[in-house]
Amino acid sequence: MALRSRGGWWPALCIGITASILAVYILLVTSNWIYLGWHDTLYFFSKSRMWERFWLTVWTATVSTSFSLFIGIPAGYALSRFRFPCRYLFASIIDLPIVVSPAVVGAFLFGITTRFPFDWISEYYGIYISRNVYGVLLVQFTVTAAFCARLMKASFDMIPVRFEAVSHSLGASPLRTFFKVVLPMAKNGIIASMIVVWARAAAEWEGLMLFVGATEGKTDIMPFAIYLDWNGGMMGWVTSMSIVCILMAVSAISAMKLIGGRSNVW
Amino acid sequence: MKNFFKSSKGKEFMMKLINNLVVFLFISSFFLVTHTYGGEKRLLFHAGLGQRMALNEIKAVFEKRNPDIKVNFSYKGSGYFIADITRSKQGDLFMPGEEFYLMQAVERGFLTDYDPKTDIPAYFVTVIITPKGNPKNIKRIEDFARPGIKVGLGNPRSCAIGIWHQKTFRKAGIWDKVKENATLSAKCIPELGNATQHRAIDATIVWATTAVLYLRDVEIIPIEHKYRGIIRLPVGVLKFARYREESQKLMDFILSVEGRAIFHKHAYAINPVIPVDKQGFCLDGTTDKDMEYLVNAAKAVKDESFPVTKETIGDLAGQVLRQKKTKRAGD
Repeated sequence: MALRSRGGWWPALCIGITASILAVYILLVTSNWIYLGWHDTLYFFSKSRMWERFWLTVWTATVSTSFSLFIGIPAGYALSRFRFPCRYLFASIIDLPIVVSPAVVGAFLFGITTRFPFDWISEYYGIYISRNVYGVLLVQFTVTAAFCARLMKASFDMIPVRFEAVSHSLGASPLRTFFKVVLPMAKNGIIASMIVVWARAAAEWEGLMLFVGATEGKTDIMPFAIYLDWNGGMMGWVTSMSIVCILMAVSAISAMKLIGGRSNVW
Repeated sequence: MKNFFKSSKGKEFMMKLINNLVVFLFISSFFLVTHTYGGEKRLLFHAGLGQRMALNEIKAVFEKRNPDIKVNFSYKGSGYFIADITRSKQGDLFMPGEEFYLMQAVERGFLTDYDPKTDIPAYFVTVIITPKGNPKNIKRIEDFARPGIKVGLGNPRSCAIGIWHQKTFRKAGIWDKVKENATLSAKCIPELGNATQHRAIDATIVWATTAVLYLRDVEIIPIEHKYRGIIRLPVGVLKFARYREESQKLMDFILSVEGRAIFHKHAYAINPVIPVDKQGFCLDGTTDKDMEYLVNAAKAVKDESFPVTKETIGDLAGQVLRQKKTKRAGD
């Protein structure tokens, strides 16, 4: 039942606060867009560089999100349903990459990729692991996998265990139960989480700064390209790419709301 | 319920198997994709962010001439490199934004054949920049000490320009007063450029190569000789270079007349000899011509009628035309 929103100072205050913060955000975007100007907007939006960066961001985020889902769905399910030794320890460790700064992830990845067997791989094939687009994927995956598992756990937590118990009692195997009962019920939550994870991967930058460094056109996904151009004093690129990023985020969030509107994750 | 948990053990085992399989696939995907790289030689070039535009141009020319060599940059702030190189032991060439960072690598033994006499392709020169129109009428170093001037300083711990601010104002004997005027402690040099562009500060000192990025929105004021800093910008081949021969080839190209000319297009000083005192301040007018070009370039971007010729702006035509194209700079 919806509360009456008129006739009291408290609802008015709450709505007023919401409206003012919204106004601040809208002002942020519009003032920057005005700063850029219409002529420059057309110019930068029609450059191929912009859309190359855009697609690079989209496809890297998509690939790393799908890897994250491979890990995140089973892991989230395990954390949500099964009792196994050190379960709480596992859960806390899985939360770590969410809490610590992605910069730490970037720095620690160095530690792994310069040791066996990776040093051997890079020696044998004559490439530098981490200095190409696979380094970008690795950073995005490492940062988002935990996030994904966490969100999946929340989605699975919302589904009563009773349904699985019924499915088992009717003779379905755990695997069949998972695919026929749990997954369809968690669908909304999973899709919503997926979009959040995707947005998180697309926004990753700190880890990349430490672990990969930018090669133009190869590893500079949008947040990184914005940083590069900021350093080059190219305010036109900075502003126009930020606007594209914001549009990307807005459409991701709207998609999430549309698809997973009734899920309990967000 | 008991049955449910019992059966879940089997499932847990399977999940472990699936997890392992996915991890294995992820790792093996490295093998697959890396295999295709076999034929080309890819150099990894650690370079300071500030050199991006000049080095991208050099890369384009170099790759055209040597089709079997590809140059991959890892652009970062110069302060990040020592940690990166120490940890990863990767990379072929190294070109940070100041000799200081390169010397750190030399001290740690990452660069063995660095020759400070010959391995300097270009120099930074310090200039004063103020917001468009120079509202506080800054003309000389001494003006920074006037009360009420908002000065932007660099943090000496994180960027080389900070050290030079300190050096310059100490030499002029106004360091204490300037410190009182300081309203910004920048972590990197573009921060100073952006602050000036957006009128957050009234004046600051930056490299000419930074000033040239903001031609439309700042005024450029050359500094008199005794306070004009000349900063050496070195390049070196790292000890653990995978393709030593090719790296040397690229380094030779950077140090060649042609390579230096590319740096000159981005407002670096490239005179082979610039007489400096012990602290690195200019002794004569070797860089005067470059300063004149830079001031004219700022005029040319702001004023459509200003002639864009080799005589007025030297090699800066590329920068001027780029910034004239749009109101907010891009390329």
